[in-house]
Amino acid sequence: MRLAILSLRGLTRRKVRTTLCLLGIALGVSVILGVGTATTRYTATLREMNTYFQGRVIVVSSRSIFIQALPIGGVLPGGIVAEIERVEGVGDAVPMLVLVRLPQVGEGGGLGLTQLVPMNITYGIAGGRWGVLVGSTPLRAGRWPDPGGEEVVIGRYLAERNNLTVGSEIRVEGHAFRVVGVLETSSPFLTRVIIMSLEMAQRTYGYPRLINMVVVKPEEGVSEEELADRIEAEIPGVSALTSEERGELTEGLFRDVELWNLGLRTILYLMSMVLVATVMTMNISERRKELATLDAIGAPRGFVLRMVSGEGALLGLLGGLLGLLLGSIASILLVSRYASVPIAMVFKSLLDVVPPKTALEILASTVAVSTIASAVPTLLAQRMNIVDALRAEP
Amino acid sequence: MIVETINLTRVYRLGSSEIRALRGVSLGVEEGTFTTILGPSGSGKSTLLHLIGLLDRPTSGRVLFRGRDTSLLSDRERRRLRLRNIGFVFQTFNLLPTLTALENVELPMALAGVRPPEQRRRAIRLLEEVGLGDRLHHRPSKLSVGEMQRVAVARALANGPSLIIADEPTGELDSKTGEEVLRLLKGLCEERGVTVLMATHDERAARLSDRTYRLLDGVLQG
Ligand SMILES: Nc1ncnc2c1ncn2[C@@H]1O[C@H](COP(=O)(O)OP(=O)(O)OP(=O)(O)O)[C@@H](O)[C@H]1O
Ligand SMILES: [Mg+2]
Repeated sequence: MRLAILSLRGLTRRKVRTTLCLLGIALGVSVILGVGTATTRYTATLREMNTYFQGRVIVVSSRSIFIQALPIGGVLPGGIVAEIERVEGVGDAVPMLVLVRLPQVGEGGGLGLTQLVPMNITYGIAGGRWGVLVGSTPLRAGRWPDPGGEEVVIGRYLAERNNLTVGSEIRVEGHAFRVVGVLETSSPFLTRVIIMSLEMAQRTYGYPRLINMVVVKPEEGVSEEELADRIEAEIPGVSALTSEERGELTEGLFRDVELWNLGLRTILYLMSMVLVATVMTMNISERRKELATLDAIGAPRGFVLRMVSGEGALLGLLGGLLGLLLGSIASILLVSRYASVPIAMVFKSLLDVVPPKTALEILASTVAVSTIASAVPTLLAQRMNIVDALRAEP
Repeated sequence: MIVETINLTRVYRLGSSEIRALRGVSLGVEEGTFTTILGPSGSGKSTLLHLIGLLDRPTSGRVLFRGRDTSLLSDRERRRLRLRNIGFVFQTFNLLPTLTALENVELPMALAGVRPPEQRRRAIRLLEEVGLGDRLHHRPSKLSVGEMQRVAVARALANGPSLIIADEPTGELDSKTGEEVLRLLKGLCEERGVTVLMATHDERAARLSDRTYRLLDGVLQG
C-alpha cells in the first residue's frame, strides 16, 4: 500500500516529464494496436477470400494466376467447358467471367494501400449457378437476375455506398443495369461484388464467348488433386488449381505481413523501453539521496527497487491504457479505410476490431517492458553505496 | 555500553591516492547518554558515524553494538538493526518530499511491519511530542527548516530505537532553531532514555552532552 503511494507520488512529481513519457508510450502502443489490428483485419479479409470455391478445382488459362478468388491474366474460350466436362471425374463445371475494377487514384480515400482493395468485382456466372459463388448467402431483398435480362445483384456495401436498392439503375462500363437483388453479407469480399449472367458480362465488357475461369466440382470419391492433374494432362493451355494450392499462393504474403508486424512491434516496445529507462534514470539520479535515505533507515533489500519499478509499471499501465484508447480509435479508422467498410458497420463489432485478448496482451507487454526498463537503472544506481549517495548533493 | 569501536580505520581510495579518514578510533558510548563527537570539517566525524550506524564497513577494526561484533552481520541483519534499533537524523533532514510529515514518520513503522492504525497513532503522538501536532499533513516543502528537522527527529524515533545518530543536526539551522533541536534531543535522552550520538563542529552545541570526544584528522584527541 505504502509502496503504491510512493510510486504514484513519484510519478506526479515531474508532471511534464511523466506526461511526455506517457504520451510516448501511448503513441507506441496505439501504433502497435492500430497496425496490428488493421493488418489482422486485412489478412483476415484476404484469407476469407481464400475460402471461396473450397472443395472445387479452379481451371484458368495457364497464362493467368488465380489469387484471392480472382483470376488475373489470360482468358479461355467458352468452348473449353465442354472439354472439361468430358474429363473423367468431373461432377460439374461452371464457367465464369470475372472482372475487377480497382479504384482510381483519389477515389475511396487517399491511402495508397487501399488501392489494392478492389472497388467492385463483376462476376458473370453461367446458367444461374449463383450458389457456386455465394454459397448460402441470402439476398437481403429482391431476386436473382434473369439470364437474358440486363439485371444484376450487388453486394450490400456497393448498395449502401451508392444508395442503391432493388429497382435502382446501375451503370457498369457505360451499360445500364437494373439492380434486382442485394446480397445480405458481411464478407468484405462478397459485399462488393456485382453478379450478372455470363452472357451479360461477356457483352458488357467486350469478351464475346470468352471466360476466365471454370469452377469444377469433382465427382463423389474423386480428390481435387487427382482431378486437377487429369485436367492439366488432358487439356493444353490450362492450369487446374486445388483449394490447397490456391491457399499456398497467399500464405507467403501473410507470413510477410506477420513478420513486418512483429518487427514493428519489437521496435516500438524497445523504443518504449528506452523512453522509460531514460525518464527513470533522470528520476533516480535526482532522487539518489532520497533512495539512499530509505536504505539508511533500514528499508528491506529490494524495497527501493520495487518502489521504482512500481513507478515504471504505473507508467506502462497508464501509457498502455491511453495507447489502447488512441489505438482503438486509430484501428477503427484504419480498418474502415482498408476494408472500405463504412464505420457504422465496424462499430457494431468493435470487439472484432480490437479483441480484448489482443488489448490485454499489449497492456501486459507494455507494463512488463516499462517495469524492466525502470529496474535496470535502479539496479545500476544501487551499485553506489549508501554513504556516497547520502553525501550526494540533493 | 551500547556502542564500542575498537581501533577503527577507514581508508578511502581515490585512484592511486589514499585518504585515511579514520586512523584507529576506539571509543565507547554509554547507554542512555548524550555523546558528542566534536571536530572540524574533514576530521572524519561523518565517516565515524556512518560506521557506527552500519551504513558503511571499516577498513579495519570493529564496531560492537551491545557487545556484538557487527562485522559478522549480514546485509539483511544490518538493515534490520538500523530499522529497529538505530534512528538517523541527518544534517539535511532527508525527508521524503512526496510524503506528509505524518507519512514520513509512519514510513519506518510501515517498513517494520507495524499495522497501519498503530502507525498512525504512534506517528501523531511523536509529532505532538516534537511540537508539530498542527503540521501533520504538511509536506516538507511547506515546513520551515526547524520543523523539518523536528519531523526528522520524530521519524528517527518511530520504531523506538535505543540509539539516535545525529550528524550535524543543527548544521542547516540558525542558532535559535538549532538550540531548539539540541534541547529536543537532550530531552529525549533524559525522558526516554534514548542514547544520542551527535557529531558537530560547533563547540557550543557540545555543551549539553554528557560526554564529548574530540576528533582531529581521524584521530581521537586527549
Ligand atoms: N567517499 C569518499 N571518498 C574519498 N574521500 C572521502 C569520502 N568520504 C569522505 N572522504 C574524506 O574523508 C575525510 C573525512 O570526511 P568526513 O566527511 O568523515 O569528515 P567530517 O568530519 O564529517 O567533515 P564535515 O564536518 O565537513 O562533515 C575527508 O578528508 C573527506 O574528504
Ligand atoms: Mg560530516
